[in-house]
Amino acid sequence: MRTFRDRKGQFIIIAALFLSIMIVSASTIMYSTVTYFRHERWEEYLTIVDSIKTGSSKVMEVSLASYTQTNNSMVLRDNLNQWIRDVRKAYPGFGIDLNYTLESGVRSAYGVSLNYSLGLARVWKQPVSCSAANVTFTINLASVGLTGYSFSAHAFLRANMRDAVWYSRSGKQYVLIYLSVDKDGSVPVINLLKGNFAEVKLNGVPQSFLFKRYYSSTYSSYVYELRVNSVTSMPSSVEVSLADTRGIKIVSTSTIVRQDTS
Amino acid sequence: MKRTRKAKASMGQMRVIEAIMASLIVVAALSFLYVFAAAPSSQTYESGELEKIGHNVLHDIDEQGLLTRYVYNSEWANITAALIVSVPNDVYFNLTIYDVNGNSIGHPLIQYGSSDVFAKSKAVASVTYIISGYQTVYDPRILVLKLVRE
Repeated sequence: MRTFRDRKGQFIIIAALFLSIMIVSASTIMYSTVTYFRHERWEEYLTIVDSIKTGSSKVMEVSLASYTQTNNSMVLRDNLNQWIRDVRKAYPGFGIDLNYTLESGVRSAYGVSLNYSLGLARVWKQPVSCSAANVTFTINLASVGLTGYSFSAHAFLRANMRDAVWYSRSGKQYVLIYLSVDKDGSVPVINLLKGNFAEVKLNGVPQSFLFKRYYSSTYSSYVYELRVNSVTSMPSSVEVSLADTRGIKIVSTSTIVRQDTS
Repeated sequence: MKRTRKAKASMGQMRVIEAIMASLIVVAALSFLYVFAAAPSSQTYESGELEKIGHNVLHDIDEQGLLTRYVYNSEWANITAALIVSVPNDVYFNLTIYDVNGNSIGHPLIQYGSSDVFAKSKAVASVTYIISGYQTVYDPRILVLKLVRE
């Protein structure tokens, strides 16, 4: 009976020893797992992939800006070919292999049907006009055995001419144009200044204009109000050319409606 | 009866001693782990952390569309100020900008912290960041940001 009791007493110490061994073992495994990524320097490779992704998107923006301003439809392909060579120069020793596929054919982007050619598309001279670029990239990093990392990049700018109205009130005649602008993923563009609006034409004739921007509860959107004064007779059409801060250009047109007030 | 009581009292003391010993074993195991699992402070890890900071800072400024503007419009004071406010207080930097062929584009010194800080520091991190162009012009620049912690 006494021997049994002595053994029962030692059991607590044995249990504590087992518990300690389990804690140490489990913690060692957890620690190794957590610090594994630090030893493998994943951060460095991730930052390179991240830089290439950001840079590739910027190449698209630069190319789209160039395409919309010069009408050179080969610019995206040429710039991407050069970009691939330059990335290899910038990160030597990593075994970077960057490939791309230019979008072609009719595709929908943010609710707009666009006909891409060599990755570029534009729908201009409409009340809702847009410029877009779409490319799929694939990155291989031979130094870490990363292959087939694929991502899609797009640049997009849309101008929506909400209203163009010719007013004749109290002996003053003028035209008010309300525009909203959004970019990638319907993000409203709210930082455009008068200088971003290259031209406002009434019936094809360039006009000087006044510029305002504000949030409009009427359109439930941030709008740009362009006012052309001293328009004695009602014009039939308006054309607005604008370029955002990235240099991407759009030309939007609309018909003008008349509103007489006393 | 008296004898049984004495034996039980003795056994009770043993239980307390065993419990104390068991607690000591567990505490010793936890203490060992605490010492063992403490993040080692080495040059490799420090440099990795600084690289992460450097990349994040450049990436953030680039995402805001400011980095390309500063570089291509030669706004060196602005790029220095943007980096100073973006990096932690105890981190110093030196930025050099090259063209795609590795030639420096000849900008003034873009640095925060004296040269001594860079010379004396044991861990210097270097981050390479490439930007492709500005507005309609494709003309890549390679930014090399060196970071040290005081």
